Amino acid sequence: MPMVERFHYPNDRETRNEARIRALESLLIEKGVITSDTVDKVLSFFETQMGPFNGAKVVARAWVDPAFKKRLIEDTPAAIAELDLPKGMAGAEGEHMRAVANSPTVHNLIICTLCSCYPWPVLGLPPYWYKDPTFRARAAREPHAVLKEFGLDIDPPVEIKTWDSSAQIRWFVIPERPAGTEGMSEEQLAALVTPESMMGVARVEPPR
Amino acid sequence: MKLQHYLGGLEGLGPVNFEKRVFVEPWEKRIFGIHVAMMALSSQLPLPKTPSEFKTVWTWADLRKGAESLNPFDYFKYRYYEKWLGGISGYFVEQGYITQEELEARTQKFLSQAGPAPTKRGDPAIDNRVTTYLIEGDSPKRDIKGKPRFKEGESVFVKNMPTVEHTRLPGFLRNQIGVVDKVYEGGYSYLCSTGPDGIGDPMPVYCVRFDPEKIWKGNIEKNVSIYADLYEAYLDKVAH
Repeated sequence: MPMVERFHYPNDRETRNEARIRALESLLIEKGVITSDTVDKVLSFFETQMGPFNGAKVVARAWVDPAFKKRLIEDTPAAIAELDLPKGMAGAEGEHMRAVANSPTVHNLIICTLCSCYPWPVLGLPPYWYKDPTFRARAAREPHAVLKEFGLDIDPPVEIKTWDSSAQIRWFVIPERPAGTEGMSEEQLAALVTPESMMGVARVEPPR
Repeated sequence: MKLQHYLGGLEGLGPVNFEKRVFVEPWEKRIFGIHVAMMALSSQLPLPKTPSEFKTVWTWADLRKGAESLNPFDYFKYRYYEKWLGGISGYFVEQGYITQEELEARTQKFLSQAGPAPTKRGDPAIDNRVTTYLIEGDSPKRDIKGKPRFKEGESVFVKNMPTVEHTRLPGFLRNQIGVVDKVYEGGYSYLCSTGPDGIGDPMPVYCVRFDPEKIWKGNIEKNVSIYADLYEAYLDKVAH
């Protein structure tokens, strides 16, 4: 049974939440804590400056340039700084990042069992599944079973390495480049890369 | 002992919810934006002063303490940003920025009528500081004197720290033995002192590899390993 079916929620749950957040934000604006633009500016920053579109470019470069991939694994922030990405790639929640690469023998999975640590500059904000306590609890002990629920079968000889983000290092995965993408441009390759693949719960699918 | 500190490995929870959206309801975006602004305007950061009335400290540690102090059933019951809404509203009331009565009255008002969008107000310097925080971040890395106590390849014992309010030591790793995979350069401070739990001041951090077969003997999948980044205060030499 999914977790939410175990609990009773009032019918006006979301209406109340919405009224409460509007009340809080309007009071904070009136009291001079934030401005009437603050929240929208933060949201726009994550739509344009910090998001998975950056991580996708980093991965695509790693696929076409093995020397870059090596540097990316050895010193992730320095390698990312080589690319022409928006300002702030070592900013909030990306001050100290590490990349790990999938291979035919190793599959990496990133989790945060204590909260929801996520590399904001390259991946933006974490999808709901990453923050859900059920995922965080189960991925630590049964990654194969959890990945199967995500639709990802990992062959038994492949080692699964799970990385629990318990200090201030923020992790992401360099997924494997799919077959059939020879000759594609970096830009075309980046368009294939999903946030899920950069956290290790999905493969990058070849173009159809 | 808090369930929230011992989530890793918990059994019997049912299927994973593969919801890919970041914000499940539109209102959730607003609480996220407020949290970022609070972190950016927090008084301990070395950023330019602004006319904001926000004069206190708010960091990830404060948000996490709130989530960790919840009733464990509520922790599962409420969605991620519902927990944020509760914790952040509570903080503004506790710190005296707003009163509970004001918040209730305003909530009722928005429930009974669709209020107008807030009129434009506030000094742009406040928003500039928020953007500066996002771009510059708040690195916890510090220079420290002395050498790290452990080296790569060394076995280490994870202590069972007396955690009261807040910790960065996952419960499933306590009293386990792992192997140092990487010694991070320099030292890392934490956002606050966690008291007897032991972190706050700059100290070395290690990436430590664990064999899950030793943690969950006979109850683990084959060919898996788990790594965690752990502060030096949480580690000890292995007793021989």
